[in-house]
Amino acid sequence: MFLFRTFILRRIREEKLRALATVLGVALGIAVVLAVRMANQSSVRSFETALEMVAGKTSLEIVGSGSGLREERLLELDWLEQFGQISPVIEGEARASFPSGDREWLKILGVDILRDETFRDYRLVRFAGRQQSPSPREFLELLSDPGAIVLTQKLARRHSLDPGSGLDLDIGDRREALTVRGLLLDRGPARALNGTFALMDIAAAQWLLGRLGRIDRVDLRLKPEISIDRAEAAIAARLPEGLTVQRPSRRGRQVEKMLESFHFNLTALSHIALLVGLFLIYNTVSLSVVTRRREVGILRAVGGSRRQVAGLFLAEAGLLAALGCALGVLLGGWMARGALRLTGSTLDRLYIRSAAEPVALGPEHLVLAFAVGIPLALLAALVPALEASRVAPTEAVRGADRVESRFRLSWRQRWLPPILSTLAVGFACLDSVEGIPLFGYAACLSTVFAVAFLVPVVLHFSGRAGSRLTRRWTGVEALLANANLSGSIPRISISVAALAVSLSMVTAITIMIGSFRETVQYWVEQTLRADLFVAPATRSNVYSESSLSPEVVRVVADNPRVAAVDPFTGFVIDYQGRRVLLGSGDFKVHLDRSGLLIKAPRQGQSAMRTAIGEDAAVVSESFALRHRKAVGDRLVLNTDRGRRGFRVAAVYYDYSSDQGVVVLDRSTFRKYYGDRPPRSLAVYLKDGLDPEGVRAEILAALPLESRVFVHTNASLKAEVLRIFDNTFTITYALEIIAVAVAILGVATTLVTLILDRKPELALLRWAGAEQRQIRKMVIIEAALLGAVSQGLGVVAGILLSLILVFVINVQSFGWTIQFHLPAGFLLQSSLLILLATALSGIYPAYRAGRMPPAREA
Amino acid sequence: MPVLSVEGVGKTYTRGEAPVVAVREVDLFLGKGEFVALTGPSGCGKSTLLHLCGGMDYPTRGRIWLDGSDLGSLDEASLTRIRRRRIGFVFQSFNLLPTLTAVENTALPLMLDGVSPDVARRKATGLLERLGLLHRLDHYPQQLSGGEMQRVGIARAVCHDPLLLLADEPTGNLDSANGADVLELLQELNRSLGVTVLLATHSAEMAAAGQRVLHMVDGGIESETHSRRPIARPDRDNEGG
Repeated sequence: MFLFRTFILRRIREEKLRALATVLGVALGIAVVLAVRMANQSSVRSFETALEMVAGKTSLEIVGSGSGLREERLLELDWLEQFGQISPVIEGEARASFPSGDREWLKILGVDILRDETFRDYRLVRFAGRQQSPSPREFLELLSDPGAIVLTQKLARRHSLDPGSGLDLDIGDRREALTVRGLLLDRGPARALNGTFALMDIAAAQWLLGRLGRIDRVDLRLKPEISIDRAEAAIAARLPEGLTVQRPSRRGRQVEKMLESFHFNLTALSHIALLVGLFLIYNTVSLSVVTRRREVGILRAVGGSRRQVAGLFLAEAGLLAALGCALGVLLGGWMARGALRLTGSTLDRLYIRSAAEPVALGPEHLVLAFAVGIPLALLAALVPALEASRVAPTEAVRGADRVESRFRLSWRQRWLPPILSTLAVGFACLDSVEGIPLFGYAACLSTVFAVAFLVPVVLHFSGRAGSRLTRRWTGVEALLANANLSGSIPRISISVAALAVSLSMVTAITIMIGSFRETVQYWVEQTLRADLFVAPATRSNVYSESSLSPEVVRVVADNPRVAAVDPFTGFVIDYQGRRVLLGSGDFKVHLDRSGLLIKAPRQGQSAMRTAIGEDAAVVSESFALRHRKAVGDRLVLNTDRGRRGFRVAAVYYDYSSDQGVVVLDRSTFRKYYGDRPPRSLAVYLKDGLDPEGVRAEILAALPLESRVFVHTNASLKAEVLRIFDNTFTITYALEIIAVAVAILGVATTLVTLILDRKPELALLRWAGAEQRQIRKMVIIEAALLGAVSQGLGVVAGILLSLILVFVINVQSFGWTIQFHLPAGFLLQSSLLILLATALSGIYPAYRAGRMPPAREA
Repeated sequence: MPVLSVEGVGKTYTRGEAPVVAVREVDLFLGKGEFVALTGPSGCGKSTLLHLCGGMDYPTRGRIWLDGSDLGSLDEASLTRIRRRRIGFVFQSFNLLPTLTAVENTALPLMLDGVSPDVARRKATGLLERLGLLHRLDHYPQQLSGGEMQRVGIARAVCHDPLLLLADEPTGNLDSANGADVLELLQELNRSLGVTVLLATHSAEMAAAGQRVLHMVDGGIESETHSRRPIARPDRDNEGG
């Protein structure tokens, strides 16, 4: 303890700034990891909690082919009562507009209240303005009023609603006015989804959601003496065609699976900042060892053991990491909200509407921060600590406190980069593990480490080139800066590596996103050929009620300027435990007018033609990759007529959903799933007409209460790209944090180098260097560090982007992306990094400039 | 007019609570081309006096004039310029920058003064050649012997044609043979360039090289002896060259 206090604590006190920067670096790394984890947990948990709360005491559920089952099928299910009580349920979503002007999505649960009471726990606290619960009869009357809705206390408080208040609900392209008739106590399902929950009678809900005659599922509460496994098997054996029995948790697992890749990629990204934070620990301890070799020598000379020496430096790392973790937990809790907001909009748009609330910071997160942060920090500090323990006592006598002289290539620098690069290539060739591109990430990690070990070599050669340049062409400051860096390779390598690694990640991700964007843009150009697109205002990938009413379809189809209409219908189905969008379109109109990009077979158009009216499907690339289906294979779908096999006629490129899309021709779809209202219409106009004019005509002809978006081709394309850009905001946010941590590393390294170079700086001052010249020299050093890092970062980033584009993306999302190098952006970002690192040199430069001239240096 | 005039100069440091008088009431005049030795035991204030004369520190009392400029009245930037153009300093521990080659170390004061790299390098090369180090131009300090390092240190100190060369125990880290070489070199530069030399040493043998020998005790000059060595006039007119 004495040694720790005198040797480590005092030094930390002397160099508060460096310690602070290290702590901050670790804290940011930990914070980002925690924030992303909490955001991920929030989205899954909010869905699962909602599921559990709404499921209540349901043990099993009977579901139909995808979009529920027809009411009359309930008659075929009366035998289920021998297993327990049953309750039909309809669930839906609607966007509520409150009197205040606010809008929120509501989950609407429609139940048969007489049967449902034993399933779910509702309690009305305020009913028709009275502070009391209604009688069962009143409750029943209340629910069967088609204009009545029961909201949660929490939601009512949020929007200052009382029994009797009115609110508007948008469902598909319709708007309905409802009256709040009662408020639910915050328990049972009312606790789910942050209170955005509404209760209705099943008949009223069917009418409101436009699904007359259909229910979503039948919930079953087993008798206590019946085992769930036995019941599930027995029911499955007896169920009529087209119906399936499952546990409510299956839907939760589907969501988990659906979000797996999205979450895994975010988690992997969040670890970059942590990795950079750990580089900082390594850096700090290395610098501490390098600048104190003489003191270590003295310590060894007076009897300090190797173990003690190593222990001291590990303790330094442990202390800094512990402070960083503690601060990181606090920061993480705060950042989680931002991360949730950034991921939330993507989730809502592409996966599920979650209404997630941030998971509260708990002991679990504290334990996680320390359990991840401390061991990794100790691991990072191990190499320099062991190096310190090997310092010979004679070094104290020799005064060998400056280790670097001429740089020599060590075996590590010579062999590790090629070995790691070979490993990276090997990993990149391996397949994913259960849909997660583990080897892809291993390939990235190998590349990153190869770059890190290559840094000293690059510094050595760039220093030599720099010395030739500066000797002839630049002022003395650049010459000195280059000479200083060349002479400090062992010390600066780590910071340069940290910066290069984080910059390579930014470059890689930028190239990946840029390539993805180009690909999507091309895809949009090729496939979105219709002149107008009509969709309900509540249109969403994740929202099943978003369909168009017959009046709207009629208005569009009857317009004399319209040449053809391709209605798209679809809903989410469960395909082998995963959520898949089953859609239908008019293949004939599509073939005549649209430009679906077919991946396979080569004769895509004629293959698609063979699917018209047949038991054949066209599937998206992501579906084909995820479920390993190729042209000619059969896929079995649950239809209203039971399980049916469909031939895969073609695989097409699609970037709208990573969950996969299966499309049937309209006639085939109608045969197996009945008539469904379309979710959107692609409208083709007669030649030479102005889409804006027809759009205005259609909008004018629509019934007043219709809530429909009519996009022109150009505006829809712009909308697609806007959504695309929005999706990647969090990616950029995470990357910027990683780069900021790395730049912090460069600044600390410079300050340390300056403290360590005091005698030389004093000597320069003696030799007549003005403060201005010293400052300029340090800033040039900082900029040179930035230049080398960015140079390496760009090269490594291009390599990493190849892995991202051709391995990780394909394996996690099933998307083929065309590689595209955004040269302009790379140039701009390089200049920006140069500027940022040069700026990071300002404080060190100021410190260096203040050094007095040498006495006896 | 003397190159260097030191009038009633004193320097007091505060160490903790107690003031420490390093230099007290020193008067000293150095004419152009003089070679003066400053001797005395360790801690007598030789080095402090040298630093004051070299514009590396301000005196607490008295005045120091170098070539007509009052060093005590100059601000930091002007003092830096004076050091860069008028003064050369040779250190006991050579103090070469480890990251620069011999020729770069030598050319440093010129380059700091804005002389073009080519011109500075040419001049430094000429000087090193004269000191027998032509084969060491692109060697780094750690590749040189102690004697060679000190010769580079001396080359750097005279590369910019200073008026005053201050040498603080320049042979302290050298063996006797190399020490003798260095002393001879200083004398030769004094003679050939006409540069005024103030040499601090605790060795009587070294001090004997000076035309005048000042003996310091406890921060003050106690006595002065003269030798018969003539005052140097430059071999050639090297002003500005």
